[in-house]
Amino acid sequence: MPPQDFDLRKMKVKGRKGEDFEINLSNLKLPKISLRWIVLAAVAIWLLTGFYMVSPGEQGVVRRFGAYVYSTEEGLRYHLPYPIEALDKVSLTEIRRLEVGFRTVQGVARNVHRESHMLSGDENIVNVTMIVQYRVNDAFAYLFNVKDQVGTILDATESALRQVIGIHSIDDVLTAGKQQIQDETREKLDELLQSYSLGVHVTAVQLQDVHPPQQVIHAFKDVASAKEDKSKTINNAHGYRNEVLPQAVGEAAQMVRKAEGAKVDRIKRAEGDVQKFLKVLEKYRMAKDVTRRRLYIETMEEVLPAAKKIILTETGQVNLLNLLSSDFQTLAPSKKEAGGR
Amino acid sequence: MTKNATPIPKGLYLLGGFILLAIVVNMIFFTVDETEQAVILQFGKFVRAIREPGLHVKVPYPIQTVRILDKRILEYDSEPREIVTGDKKTLVIDNYARWRISDPLLFMKKVVNEAGAQTRLDDIVYSVLRVDLGKRDLTEIVSKRAPIMHTVSEECTAKMTEFGIEIVNVRIKRADLPEENERAVFERMEAERSRKAKKYRAEGRQTATEIRAETDKERTVILAEAYKQAKTTEGEGDAEATEIYAKAFSRDPDFYEFWRTLQAYKHTIDDKTTLVIDANSPFYKYLQGTTQK
Repeated sequence: MPPQDFDLRKMKVKGRKGEDFEINLSNLKLPKISLRWIVLAAVAIWLLTGFYMVSPGEQGVVRRFGAYVYSTEEGLRYHLPYPIEALDKVSLTEIRRLEVGFRTVQGVARNVHRESHMLSGDENIVNVTMIVQYRVNDAFAYLFNVKDQVGTILDATESALRQVIGIHSIDDVLTAGKQQIQDETREKLDELLQSYSLGVHVTAVQLQDVHPPQQVIHAFKDVASAKEDKSKTINNAHGYRNEVLPQAVGEAAQMVRKAEGAKVDRIKRAEGDVQKFLKVLEKYRMAKDVTRRRLYIETMEEVLPAAKKIILTETGQVNLLNLLSSDFQTLAPSKKEAGGR
Repeated sequence: MTKNATPIPKGLYLLGGFILLAIVVNMIFFTVDETEQAVILQFGKFVRAIREPGLHVKVPYPIQTVRILDKRILEYDSEPREIVTGDKKTLVIDNYARWRISDPLLFMKKVVNEAGAQTRLDDIVYSVLRVDLGKRDLTEIVSKRAPIMHTVSEECTAKMTEFGIEIVNVRIKRADLPEENERAVFERMEAERSRKAKKYRAEGRQTATEIRAETDKERTVILAEAYKQAKTTEGEGDAEATEIYAKAFSRDPDFYEFWRTLQAYKHTIDDKTTLVIDANSPFYKYLQGTTQK
C-alpha cells in the first residue's frame, strides 16, 4: 500500500521542485493518516450525534428502526445515531395553551367568527371564546396515537363547548352559569380526549369573552341598565324610608316627651295651687267672715278697674250715680273716679 | 497512469460494495414506525400486514413491495353543510370524525388511500347525519347532542367497517342557523330583551312603591302610638292633678267655691267686659264700701 501513496506523492513533488527523497518519504505517511482520520472523524461525529440533553420536566422517547424502545428522564443521554435510533422530546410539565374562538396574532386577539358563534339552549345566538390549558401526561400516547394533536384538541373543544352551551340558556351563558359551563366543558373535553388516547390532561378551561352578537348588543345593554334602574328605584325608596322613619320616631318621641312634661306641669301646678289654697284656708278658718270679705274686696279691687260697669237699682232703673257720671254708658274705669262721686 | 488507476479502484470497490450492500439492505429491510402499519404486496397481491413497528424483512423489489399506512387516529373534517331538521328548519351542520385504519388490507382494496377514505367518510357520515337529524327537532339537535352523536357514531362505525375503517367517534362541532335565518333570531332576541328590561323596571317601581307605602304606614303607626302615649300621659297628669285638687278642696268646699269664684273673676274680667250690677247685690254693697273707703 505505501508504494502507491509514495508514487502519488513523489509525482506531485517532482512536479514542483527537485526536492530530496527523504522529505518526500516523510510526507508520504501524512496523507494516509489523514484519510483514516477523516473516516474516523466522520464515524466519531456520527456517533457523537447520538448525545442529547433531556431538560427537567421533559421525557426523551427513543425509537429503534421506528419501534419504541425506551424513555429517558432528565440529564445527558445517548442513543444510537440516525438511521438506527430516533429521538423525540416531549415536555410533561409545560402547560400548553389553545385558543378557541379567537387567535392572538402579534399580541392582538382576533375573533374567529366561525369558532365563536354558537346557539344557546334557548336558541339564542351567542359569541363565546375560550382558552384551553393542557399538559401532556403520556409522552408515548401523545407522540404516536393521534395525528395532528393540536387540531384534535381544537376540534374536541369546539364540539364539547357547543354541546355544553347548547344545554344552557343565554342568561346562564352570559352571567351566572360561567363556572358551571367551564366545568362541564372540561369534563366533556377530557372524556373526548380520553377516547382518542391522546395522552393529554386538560388542566383548565377558561371562558374568555362571552357576549351577545353585535346586532343585538344594545338590547342586552338595555337589560343591564334596566337592572340598574330597578335597583336605583328601590334604593331611592329605601332612602325615603331611611329619611322618613327616623323623623317619625323623632316626632313621636317629641310628642311623648311633651306630654310627659305636661303631666308633670299639671301635677306640680295642682300641688302649688293646692298649697296656696291650703295656706289661705288655714288663715280663713281663724277668721272666716273677715277674711272672706277681704278676699272678695281685694279681688274686686284688682278686677273692676278694667271693666265697664252698669249698675242697676233694685227697681230695675238705672242708678242716678251712673247716669250722671257716665251718661248710660261707662263708669270711669278707675276706682278713684268712682270714689270722687 | 494505469499504474495510478489500479490502486484507486480498490477504495472504490469498497465504496461500491458498500453502496451495493446498502441497496440490498434497503431492498430487503424496511422499517415501520410507531405511527405506521404496512402491507406487503407480491406482484400487487396482498401477502401480509405488519402492525408491529420496527425492522422488517421482505423479498426485494420487483417481487414484493411495501405500502405504508398510518396507524394513528386520523382526522376527518367536513365542510359545513345544510340539513333539514324534523320540524322543517334548516341548520348548518359542521361535524368532524376521528377514525383509524383498522384493517389495512380491506382499506387498501376498497379505498386505496387516505384521500379515498375521506371521500367515503364524506358520503357516509353526511348521509347518516342527514337521516338522523331529519328525524329530530331543532331544539333537540341543539340541546341534546350527546345521544345523537352517539347513535350517529355507531351507525357510521357499522357502515365503515367494510372499508377497513374504524370510527372512533363522529362529533357535531357546529349546529347553527343559516345566515338568512339569523335575522329572525336577532329580532326575537331583541324582543325578549326588551320584555326583560321592561319587567326589571316595572319590578323596581313595584318594590319602590311597596317600600314607600310601608314606610308611610309605619310612620302613621309610630305617630299614632306616640299620640296615644302622649294623651295617656297627659290624662294621667290631669287625673293626678284632679285628685290633688279634690283632696285639698274637699276640706272646705264652701270656701273653695268662694275662692275659685274670685279667681275666675280675675281671669274673666278685663277691659272688654261690661258688668251689669244690681244695686241690691252684695257685690254692689261691697263696691259702695270700697268707694267709701
